[in-house]
Amino acid sequence: MNTENVDGITVALPSGRLDFGAAAAFQQQLEQAVAAKPRGLVVDCSSLDYVSSAGLRVFLVAARAAKAGSVGFAVSSLKPAVKEVFDLTGFGNVITLCADRAAAVAALA
Amino acid sequence: MKTASWQLPGEAGQLPNALGFLQGFWEEAELPAALGFTFELALEEVFLNVALHGADSSRVPSVVLELTACDTEVVLVVTDDARPFDPLTLATPDTTAALEDRTIGGLGVHLVRQMMDTVTYSHEAGRNRLRMTKNLNQP
Repeated sequence: MNTENVDGITVALPSGRLDFGAAAAFQQQLEQAVAAKPRGLVVDCSSLDYVSSAGLRVFLVAARAAKAGSVGFAVSSLKPAVKEVFDLTGFGNVITLCADRAAAVAALA
Repeated sequence: MKTASWQLPGEAGQLPNALGFLQGFWEEAELPAALGFTFELALEEVFLNVALHGADSSRVPSVVLELTACDTEVVLVVTDDARPFDPLTLATPDTTAALEDRTIGGLGVHLVRQMMDTVTYSHEAGRNRLRMTKNLNQP
């Protein structure tokens, strides 16, 4: 997974399928990103095609770790099918979802 | 009508093979890609439930996947010979809970129930049988 840094905010870019097989590596990368104490962490999902409950769990773990570390956390650019999974589980109520990366960075600024 | 079935060991490491079977069927039956997401998710959630929770230490369960597509609907049936368990009895997760109180248990089954048109469980001839259907003539 690629990460970028925008004005002290880390942007993570998962791509393809976030399923059971990919979840552990994704979780480790997000935990490392939080541990580095950036101003904020944005997960830009513009290249993410698929997420299952195993993948959702990683977003939950990362959001909690970010909150515990006082790191802002937002998710942006969900494709419609992935957005539906967030909506059906109510994850959008506890995780900040933004239409695009710029909005997410602005929300954490 | 197109139909295909496949038997495989109920182990988490077999998930890519299970998905490969589904994707192969999707291409062959020329089914809509958008519907593929729903079935891939259902297959992952149901298969992993069996592989991670249905197995006992002495034996790997046998799983059979059956796919049927006709003009009006697609049907996925997953059967296994793990201990009898009806996943539809799992409590519906609280989708309004606060971040700290969220749990993942039951979320996969919840998603499957929300995304499929019908989900039914039965126990037949010593096997758990979960049947999921989705109508083709709706978004």
